[in-house]
This record gives sequence, structure tokens and C-alpha cells, in this order.
Amino acid sequence: MDYMIEAIDLTKKFDDLTAVDKLNIKIKKGEVFGFLGPNGAGKTTSIRMMVGLLHSTSGKIFINGIEIDKIEKGTIGICPQELMLWDNLTCKESLNLMADMYEVPKQIKIQRVQKLLEDLFLVEKSNTVVSKLSGGMKRRLNLALSVIHEPEVVVLDEPSEGLDPQSRRVLWNYIKAMRDEQGRTVILTTHLMDEADHLSDRIAIIDHGKLIRLDTPENLKNEIGEGDVVDMKLSESSKNLEVIKELETHKEIIAVVEANGRIHIRALNAVGKLPLMMQVIEKCNVEIADLSVRQNTLEDVFIDLTGTGLRE
Amino acid sequence: MKFISIAVKDFKELIRDRRGLFFILLFPIFFMMIFGFAFGGMGQENTPHNIAVVNYDQGAVLPTGGEYNFGNNLTNGLKDFTYTNSNVKLFNVTETSESQADSLLKQRTVDAELIIPNNFSVSMISLIVNSTGLQTNSVNNTISAPIIRGDEGYSNFFASESALSGVMTEYQDGIVNGYKNQIAGTPGAEPIKFINTTVQGISGTQSFTQFDFLAPGMIVFAILLLATTIAAILTREADSGTLERLKMSKMRSFDLLFGGLIPWSLVAGAQVVILLGVAVILGLHWQGGINSVILAIIIGIIGGIASISLAMIIASFAKNDRQAANLGTLIVVPTSFLVGAFFQLPQVFISVLGHSFQVYELLPWTHTLSALRAVLIYGEGLNAVAYQIELSAILTAILFIIGVVLFSKTRLRAES
Repeated sequence: MDYMIEAIDLTKKFDDLTAVDKLNIKIKKGEVFGFLGPNGAGKTTSIRMMVGLLHSTSGKIFINGIEIDKIEKGTIGICPQELMLWDNLTCKESLNLMADMYEVPKQIKIQRVQKLLEDLFLVEKSNTVVSKLSGGMKRRLNLALSVIHEPEVVVLDEPSEGLDPQSRRVLWNYIKAMRDEQGRTVILTTHLMDEADHLSDRIAIIDHGKLIRLDTPENLKNEIGEGDVVDMKLSESSKNLEVIKELETHKEIIAVVEANGRIHIRALNAVGKLPLMMQVIEKCNVEIADLSVRQNTLEDVFIDLTGTGLRE
Repeated sequence: MKFISIAVKDFKELIRDRRGLFFILLFPIFFMMIFGFAFGGMGQENTPHNIAVVNYDQGAVLPTGGEYNFGNNLTNGLKDFTYTNSNVKLFNVTETSESQADSLLKQRTVDAELIIPNNFSVSMISLIVNSTGLQTNSVNNTISAPIIRGDEGYSNFFASESALSGVMTEYQDGIVNGYKNQIAGTPGAEPIKFINTTVQGISGTQSFTQFDFLAPGMIVFAILLLATTIAAILTREADSGTLERLKMSKMRSFDLLFGGLIPWSLVAGAQVVILLGVAVILGLHWQGGINSVILAIIIGIIGGIASISLAMIIASFAKNDRQAANLGTLIVVPTSFLVGAFFQLPQVFISVLGHSFQVYELLPWTHTLSALRAVLIYGEGLNAVAYQIELSAILTAILFIIGVVLFSKTRLRAES
């Protein structure tokens, strides 16, 4: 397996505070890697070390097999959560400047700047100074500046912060295109669970500087949390108690309750357990009148792993 | 050539930041105008000039007979001269030895020193003989060379020198006319100058005002003020994260700092031209032509680079642009006083390896100021200010290296 980024026992201490504690992560080439954690969990600190902006206290980071200190500049592009823009330059001037800083040849630069402006819907604002752009446009330019040199690894630190749904769609499509069409490795940190779920191939959840879980979104949702909720109404509500008793005997079922004449069944990967539920219902000689499933979300997984306490 | 892209970026940011540009260009003009109106006529103020007189004159035999010492006569005259239509004395005279006079000059107890040579009386008699037709055997045509000595970096010296030069001319004419009157009816020839007063350290104007002294100081003050603005901009670049973006790229410290140097140096040059123009309008006695302006721009640019270097040092320690602006002001204003932009501070000498020099001379802007004064006020050329320019350039280079090292260490490396 080819890994683009490998962090081994990565640790960062600020005086008495251990912000990142022996983090071990391997990120595959060409995947979108979600990096989740509550505020102050150590996400940004980890990322800053992974891109070489912050020295680690101990541990090692390899980018494509090369130690972070020795990689060629421009291997990584970072789109920070703060807007890092020159207020008095236009979109085009900003992109041209960063292209020059990465030594992009002139002809390629012209094409690439134009393509980025088109892909991120900034063409009409090419010659507008940054201070006059809307928040969404600034976010998109912030991303464009990070990828003008077409880096192998793109780090997106909360890229959707404050974006409206339309701008978010543009951004998501661009992130998917970076993976699917350009084959880049993307590291994504976000507080938007639907964003992480929608975009990530794998997700790492860290808290208190430690890796708690690393898996695909599907596996996480199927294995962690309070489970999916199956809401069903039987043709004869008098059979509700009998069905509930029978379901409770199965260890795969987390909980079963009756509410307003309906049965709520909680189970991880509930869709996979529907055949079992059907068997129980048939056994009780009753039919289903209505059924819906509310799936376990990544947010449920996140809360289950990190708790509900505030961290700020 | 990434530094060119950085230079273009900085230039665009500079001209699009109207408020910043307003502060950089108009604030010094405002100062120049205040000082112009306040001190434009100060040279004519009725206060006595403190001078030391060193009289080496050995006297001579008058054409009319008898020994006479014109040196003593001139000294007494200097003590008695008053301002026109005033009973205020023109000079406070201290008669002393040359070494003591030099010492008083260094301490600024006196503004100027007049050295009357030993053949002063002989030259005066030559003057009288040639101008009146009187005969004497005791003298041939003799020319003497009194010296007016002073510190050309000291404003009071200008006014004292100007007054002394005027008095010396008046004294010669007065003596000649006195003899002519004594031998009434004799058609005297036009007085021939037998006394060539040498003004050391002065090559220019006869009518200095305090403003002439202050105007180059205002230009240096403006150049120094650049440090505050640039420090704030450099810190803002770090604060806004754009510096981090650049750090991630292939840009080197040299590209960022050298690229930034270009537009700001041009600003320093532009400041020299604009402020000189304003000063001339306000009554500066500007000496020299277009060449002096070009030379002044070069001197100003070197001073500007020194300010940029200072800005890097300030930006290395400031946490945000407001702190940089405050810290900058805290450093720039006292530095302006130290380099003598507003008035000369008491001289403080230090000795290193047997060489004695003023502590202020360690600051590059001190030499920028001296060179600008020499070029703009005395009309001196490159040769006369080459030493000051060299010193300024060397000190600027040292400051620049310190600035680059500190800024690179604190701002351009990965955080620990």
C-alpha cells in the first residue's frame, strides 16, 4: 500500500500542555482523509506539523516516504481556516503572485489561473480587489491560492466555514474533482459532519491529542453510536408488546420502545438487521403497516466518541 | 526573479492603500509646513551670537605713524557691534586661545570661532595704503586669512558665521572710509580686499535661517517615519497569514525582503523630492541644481533602506500591526532627535581603538542628514559628501543584515 503521509508517534507539547500525543496516522495516496475532533483536540496542531509549519516535539512525519524537513517545497498546499489573502490585490493578481512564488512557468500559469477562476466561479471577479469580494468568494479564492501549484497533497482546514449551501456545493465538487480527476491526496478538517461524511474516504477522530478511531464513514456509522432507529407501525397495535419482548431477546438490538402506538428499534447497521426484524414480526403473526429508518449519523458517532462536554 | 513579483505586489498594495499613502507622504509635509512657518525667519532674530576670538595679530606701523593692532581693534569692535536700530549686542565675545576656543566650540558654549592671523594688521595697512594712496615703507601688499571656524552640523553656527562675515566686510570698508575721511580731498581708489576671510565648513549661502537647518532634518524624519509604516505592514503580512502562505512556497527570505526594499526605497526617494519642493516653496535657501536633487535622492534612498532595516527589526518583535506602529513610533521619534533632525543634542564622544567619535554617528541617518544638509543647503557635490554616504551605506548594510537575520529567524522559519 502506498501512503502519501505517515505520522509516527507525532507529539507536540506546549509547556505543560500536550496538544498532540503520539499520533500515528497513515494517509493513502489519492484519498480524501477526514480529520475530525472537537475544538482544541489537536487537529490544527497536527496539520501544521504535517505540512512543516510547526516543529514537532517528537515523532516523525514522512511525505511520500521522505522526511518532512527534506521534501521539496510545493509538495503540499494548505488552505487554512483563516482567510489568508492580500486585501489590496485582485483575484488574478493574487493567483499570479502565488504561481510566481511556486515557480510555475508563465504559459502554464496563464492557463492554470484561468481554469481555477472558472472552476471556482470567480471569473467575473478576476480583476476585483479582494477587499470587495463576498465571504464565499474569499473562501473560494483562499482555496484556489492553495492549489495554484498543483500540489500532491492538499490540506483543507475547515474550508466551508461560513459558506452558504451554493458555495459549499462548488467547494465539494472541486474537492471531489481533486481526488477523482487529479489524483491528489486531500486532508480535510471540518466541524460539518455531513461534509466529512459526504467527502471523506476515511475519517480519523482525535480528541485530547490522541487518535480515537480511524475508519471509513460507513464502518464508523455501523459500529459506533446509538445506532439507526427503525420506526415501525404494526397492522395490529395490540401485538406491539409481544413483538417488543421478542426483539429484546436479540443481542444485535440495542433498545426497543413503544411510543404513540409505534415501535422504535435502535440497532447499529439497522438496514442489515431488517431481515431479523421481519422474522420476529412474522413469528408474531402480524404485518407492518408503516416503516421508516433514521440512520445513525457521523455526528452520532462523533458525540459517542468525544462526549457532549464543551471544550473551549 | 521572485523578488520582482514581491516588489510589484508591495508596490500595488502601497498605492492602493490610500490611507497609508496619505500618512507616508502628507504627514511629513504637514510637519515641514509647521516648521517652515515657525522657523523660516529665525536667523534674523535679535539675540547675541556667542563667539570665541583668537587673536594672533602682532600689529604693524600705521602709514600715519605709530604701532597699531587691528586685531585688538576688531575684537573690541565685535564686542561693541549692535543690531541695526537696536541696543542688543551682536556678539558675546570670549577672547581665548585656539585650543580653548576649539574646546568651547565642541561643547557648544560658543557658536563660532574667529581666528585673527598674525599678519592681520599688516594686511589692513596694505588695504589702507592701496585704497587711500597713503605711502609707507613698512608693508608690501599683504593678504591675511582670518578663519571663521565652526560645526557645520550646528544651526547656530550658520547665523553666527553669516553675521561675522558681514561684520568683517563692514570693518574693512569702515577702516578704509575712516582714513579717506581723514585725508579729505584725496580721491581714494575702490577698496581692494586685503582680508580674505575663510569660513571653514561653509561653502554656501550668506543668509541662513533656522528653517534651512531644519528642512533636511524634516526629510530625514520622514524617511525615519517609514520604519513605523513598513513595520506595521510587515507585521500585518504575518498577522493576516499571507506571510505563512508565502513561507509555504518556494520564496526565500531574500525574495521577500529584497522585493520589499525596492518600492519602499522609491518611496524614500519620492519623499526627498516632494519635501524638498515643499521646503523650497516655504523659503528654503536651496543650493545646487538638478544634480543636487539626484544626489539627495540617492542619499535619501540609502536612508530609506536603513529605515526598512529598522522596520524589519521592529516587526521581528511586534505581535501585531498596532504594536508595530506603537513600537515604531517609540523608536523613530527619539532616533529623530538623536540624529539631530530637529536640533542638535549635546555632543557625546566615545573612544574606540584610539578613535574618538560622537555616539550619534553610529546611526546611519546621522550621516544621511549631514549629507543632505551639505548637498541641499551648501550645494556640495558628491566628492564632499562621499565620506558621509559611505558611512551611511556601511551602517545601513549592518542594520540590514541584523534586520534580515532577526526577521528570518522570528517570522520566516517554522514555529517551534
